[in-house]
Amino acid sequence: MKIEGRFIFPAPSQEVWDLLTDPESLQHCTPGCKQLTEIAADEFEATMEVGIGPIKGTFHGKISMKEKAPPRSYRLIIEGSGAAGFVRGEGALTLQDEAGDQTAVHVSGDGQVGGVMAGVGQRLFEGVAKQLMGQFFQCMRSQLAARRENSSA
Amino acid sequence: MKPAKFDYYDPRSLEEALTLLDTHQGDGKVLAGGQSLMPLLNMRLARPNVVVDINRIKELNYVRPSDGGIAVGALARQRALQTDKVIAERVPILQEAAYYIAHPQIRSRGTICGSIAHADPAAELPALALALDAEMTLTSAKAARTVGAETFFQSFFTTALEANEILTEVRFPARPKDGAWSVLEISRRHGDFAIAGIVAGLALDPDRQVIRRARLVYFGVGPTPIRVKAAEDALIGQAVAEPAFEAAAQSAKQSIDPSNDIHASEEYRRAVAATLTKRALRAALQKLEKN
Repeated sequence: MKIEGRFIFPAPSQEVWDLLTDPESLQHCTPGCKQLTEIAADEFEATMEVGIGPIKGTFHGKISMKEKAPPRSYRLIIEGSGAAGFVRGEGALTLQDEAGDQTAVHVSGDGQVGGVMAGVGQRLFEGVAKQLMGQFFQCMRSQLAARRENSSA
Repeated sequence: MKPAKFDYYDPRSLEEALTLLDTHQGDGKVLAGGQSLMPLLNMRLARPNVVVDINRIKELNYVRPSDGGIAVGALARQRALQTDKVIAERVPILQEAAYYIAHPQIRSRGTICGSIAHADPAAELPALALALDAEMTLTSAKAARTVGAETFFQSFFTTALEANEILTEVRFPARPKDGAWSVLEISRRHGDFAIAGIVAGLALDPDRQVIRRARLVYFGVGPTPIRVKAAEDALIGQAVAEPAFEAAAQSAKQSIDPSNDIHASEEYRRAVAATLTKRALRAALQKLEKN
């Protein structure tokens, strides 16, 4: 399952980089993230509660950032498993300067899903993955706005 | 598999059911026909602590005329779409669409409101509700509210329904007499969820040369049923002929944002949606010509 996305942030790339790689905003914006503990540099243990309508699952797993090249690119790896099955997703994120002090974040990801939920919900995964990714970046954008407000206050 | 443990209630009145949902705020799930919920429970993908079975609430089992349209209670089975005279007379497209909904056994048990409340993006009834401007009554222990289909469906299996509410009634309003509807879908096997499907409505000017109104709603191609206004605009005011149908098909193909899965690729879904657009519009036109 491949997913792609492009998200514009109204800030220079260094600021966006700091935001996206900050554990606190990572915890805040990862959909359903209940807990995030740093276990090594750029490696976190996570508990996520993801619900799509009546289907709810708790996943325990790891979120890690690899091949960091600030403020341009890194790979984000999310893996988790729970009673409903497992998910593993890997995304290459690249930050590109855009006109007017904006930054475009391009995501190119690949994901696998297995277990019971894979048998039942296969036709929904890509859509749900897109939706969760959208939520993540939407949340990051509001984090950015909140940070700017704080620093100007 | 067997479901995870839950408390089971089978109230005899709506009031009792609503009180139960209210007490177990967020932890109760309504069971009607069970054709979607039971598999989810058995697979343990849904693990509610409380299941409120509404099958014994007789007052919810009805289909009746309402202001020129119809009102469907929470317990009316999908089978009624094929047998009920009021439906056949007032909203005949529902009768036609029932053919695509799963199989006879499932329709005998599954409810109309249940399918709408479940909001599977590839299901027929949510798309029909959106295309036909259906109104939902959402009832809680404290109040009842009415929500239009365009705001009811929010995402995959996600609707405006709160955890303490029951979708007690769906109303399909009266339609202008000058229009015709058609519903089509493509699936791998009959009764499967659609790879892509369409509900199309068409109405012409009195001289029957120009398209006056159009409604195009797609299912199986997004997180909810999707109305494509751009494709409708490609029809309205145009001569009723293939070029307009083709323009609508191309517009729909570009406007939708379907997903890839093991059943079909995104490109294939777009192509199917375009083909179905033309077929459905031709079918609706044929009905208009017969009238």
